[in-house]
Amino acid sequence: MITVTNFSKHYKGFAAVKDLSFTVGPGQILGLVGPNGAGKTTTLRALCGIVPPTSGHLSIAGHDIVKAPIAAKKNLGYIPDDPRLFDTLTVWEHLAFTAAAYKVANFEEGAEALLQSFELSHKRDTLVHNLSRGMRQKVAIACAFLHDPKVILFDEPLTGLDPQGIRGIQQAIRERAESGAAIIISSHLLGLFETLCTHLMVLNLGECRRFGAMSDVLAEFGQSDSSSALESAYFAITQKRSDG
Amino acid sequence: MRGGLRLRLMQLVSLRGALLFVALGGIIWLLIASGQLDPTAQLFGGASLDSQAIRAEIATFMPLGMLGMTLLTVLLSTGPSFHFSPTEVNLLFVGPFSRRDLIIYKFIAYAAGAALSATLIAPFAQSQTGSAFSAFTATFLTLLFVQLNSAAVGMAWQAFEGNRLARLKWPVTALVCAIALAAMIHAWAVPDRSISGLISDVRHSWIGTIILMPYIVFAELFLARAHFPDLALWAAIAILINVLLLRAVIKLDRRTSEFSLREDTRLSDRWERMKQGGSFWATERSEIPSIRSAPTLGGLGPIAWRQAIKAARNSSKLIVIFIVGAACAGPLSSMAGVSITGKHGLLMLYFFFGFSLPRTLICDFRGDLSRMETYKTLPIAPWRICLGQLVVQVLLSYVIALTMIVSLLLFEDSLGAPVALALAAFALPLTLLIYAVENTIFLLFPAKLVPMGRADFEFLGRSLIEFILKTVVILIAVALAIGVGVFTLLTLGSTLVLSGLASWVSLTLIAGLAMIVMQFAFRRFVVAEAFD
Repeated sequence: MITVTNFSKHYKGFAAVKDLSFTVGPGQILGLVGPNGAGKTTTLRALCGIVPPTSGHLSIAGHDIVKAPIAAKKNLGYIPDDPRLFDTLTVWEHLAFTAAAYKVANFEEGAEALLQSFELSHKRDTLVHNLSRGMRQKVAIACAFLHDPKVILFDEPLTGLDPQGIRGIQQAIRERAESGAAIIISSHLLGLFETLCTHLMVLNLGECRRFGAMSDVLAEFGQSDSSSALESAYFAITQKRSDG
Repeated sequence: MRGGLRLRLMQLVSLRGALLFVALGGIIWLLIASGQLDPTAQLFGGASLDSQAIRAEIATFMPLGMLGMTLLTVLLSTGPSFHFSPTEVNLLFVGPFSRRDLIIYKFIAYAAGAALSATLIAPFAQSQTGSAFSAFTATFLTLLFVQLNSAAVGMAWQAFEGNRLARLKWPVTALVCAIALAAMIHAWAVPDRSISGLISDVRHSWIGTIILMPYIVFAELFLARAHFPDLALWAAIAILINVLLLRAVIKLDRRTSEFSLREDTRLSDRWERMKQGGSFWATERSEIPSIRSAPTLGGLGPIAWRQAIKAARNSSKLIVIFIVGAACAGPLSSMAGVSITGKHGLLMLYFFFGFSLPRTLICDFRGDLSRMETYKTLPIAPWRICLGQLVVQVLLSYVIALTMIVSLLLFEDSLGAPVALALAAFALPLTLLIYAVENTIFLLFPAKLVPMGRADFEFLGRSLIEFILKTVVILIAVALAIGVGVFTLLTLGSTLVLSGLASWVSLTLIAGLAMIVMQFAFRRFVVAEAFD
């Protein structure tokens, strides 16, 4: 369960996010969409304790990320847009590191399963600086899934992945949601949201322009001849406010 | 060329760059001013040596040293001396520039760096050369020669490498080494002969003079007694040699450009790793047997475990070099007749442990700037993360310090067992303090670990300011610890052991305090503000 209440973040006078409030329940997948600089990554980083909020409350599985950061982070899995792995560790050692950091007992079985599901078994002893961008992304996701978090945050999860990889990750996200995880995905790929997300939030210039169930948003804006329903909705929402 | 110049100027134009450059200039001015006030004062006591003896050593050993460097370039060089970064390859190689333009651009950038290095070196060399101007001229032209010579020799060898005769490289090297070794053993075994005498004879023989001719020019630059005609004459010849070498580099570049490109990529990968705190000699293996599990230790385990693996895989060769170097400190100081526990020796030791070692062997936060996001998301208390980050770094440095203490104990007469024990005891909290301060500065003012080229004024200025700041903190801490020890001795009037213990506890507490400040710095480190 993710709860965000009146969250604002300012950088040296610049408001990156303004008064944001929303909740994501277990099993729900929220798609976070918006143009560059809309505040998507800042929101995700604040949720996982990387940047402190200027005001407001952010809670992960019932724990406030500022007041009880350790308890909150134990329930959290975060996959950044450009995962910076440890160059000198192998793929398996990343899983071992994560298991020790999150105190996962008998992690070997779960780690083997994750390696297999992400087609990384043959790369277990490879130092990660020799992996392609897509492979590194898979390692980061496997590490984030290892401790079975209740909340998972993805920032551009499909960057650098091949078609098989994209299908695999989408399937993994669905399975995690079905098993009760609350998930947020930030991306520019509107097609990904249409196939995956249960809810949608459109951000622009740090403000929430639209938040609701995916079906409601699509129904509201309909489908034009040349573009998908979500694409129509996205441009209608972002341009309406920009023009106004 | 103008782009490169603009880049350097832009660094100066920024407020931070300008401030650091002013600070750097101030420090250089201080060095010069102090040199003028006391021309005999030298940092490492060089002025106390006989000036005539130094001149003789420069005349003998400098040309031989430069020849040795040239031969090593042929033997070990794997890449071009003018290195282009991937950004330069992508932007400049496709631009309307000839290879000649690019080589000249690189040369000018290097010359700017060499001028800066010469400016820094000149205050120390002026008592030898007679004036700061002659010291600058000699250093600047020699630095240019070293770069151009290694580039030309390396490229000439790369062009020659396809030839059948190139296979003789290692057998010929082995033969030359065997002859040199035999000659040295002979010189050592025969009475009234010495190895240095043998080297001097080789250098001053007619064949030695012919072979070493280009290198002798640069030694003469440092030995010139007057600006005119001595310095002017040798400088003119040195400039001519450098111009000829530059022409040779431009000509040879046509034959080695493809090879250079491949090597540029390999070098860039290594530099990237260095920027992340890795060693230039880090493993280039792609697969390695994985360690099955990491220790937990309440969250401290995985952090320290990861840094230990990094040190083993990234810096093992460096660690071995440092330990061997530390082990040689005793025999070397004994042979040279220099007391390492004297004033100058201690200064050198502090410079090594306080500046050189922390700048070279990096297994803490400083190598993890791009991974701070990961540490921030871990469910581990900040103090455990900080301690985990420092454990390996401090222990490695402590092992090097202990090796040096043992080496000095065995070979230096002035160092007794009680003093060695006290040094070993104090070295641990002092090492912890050095790295806690180093990391705190880094977390408060995060910055890159390697300079962006030789003329990176901001980097140089920052490094100096950091070193001065760290030195001030450490001096205050040591003074406080000594003060507590003296106070204990005066008030309790007991043995030195009790006052030493009081000093040790004080220093340990100060190091602990520094850890708390470091933890605060980690807490307030904001990833987005540091990167965006």
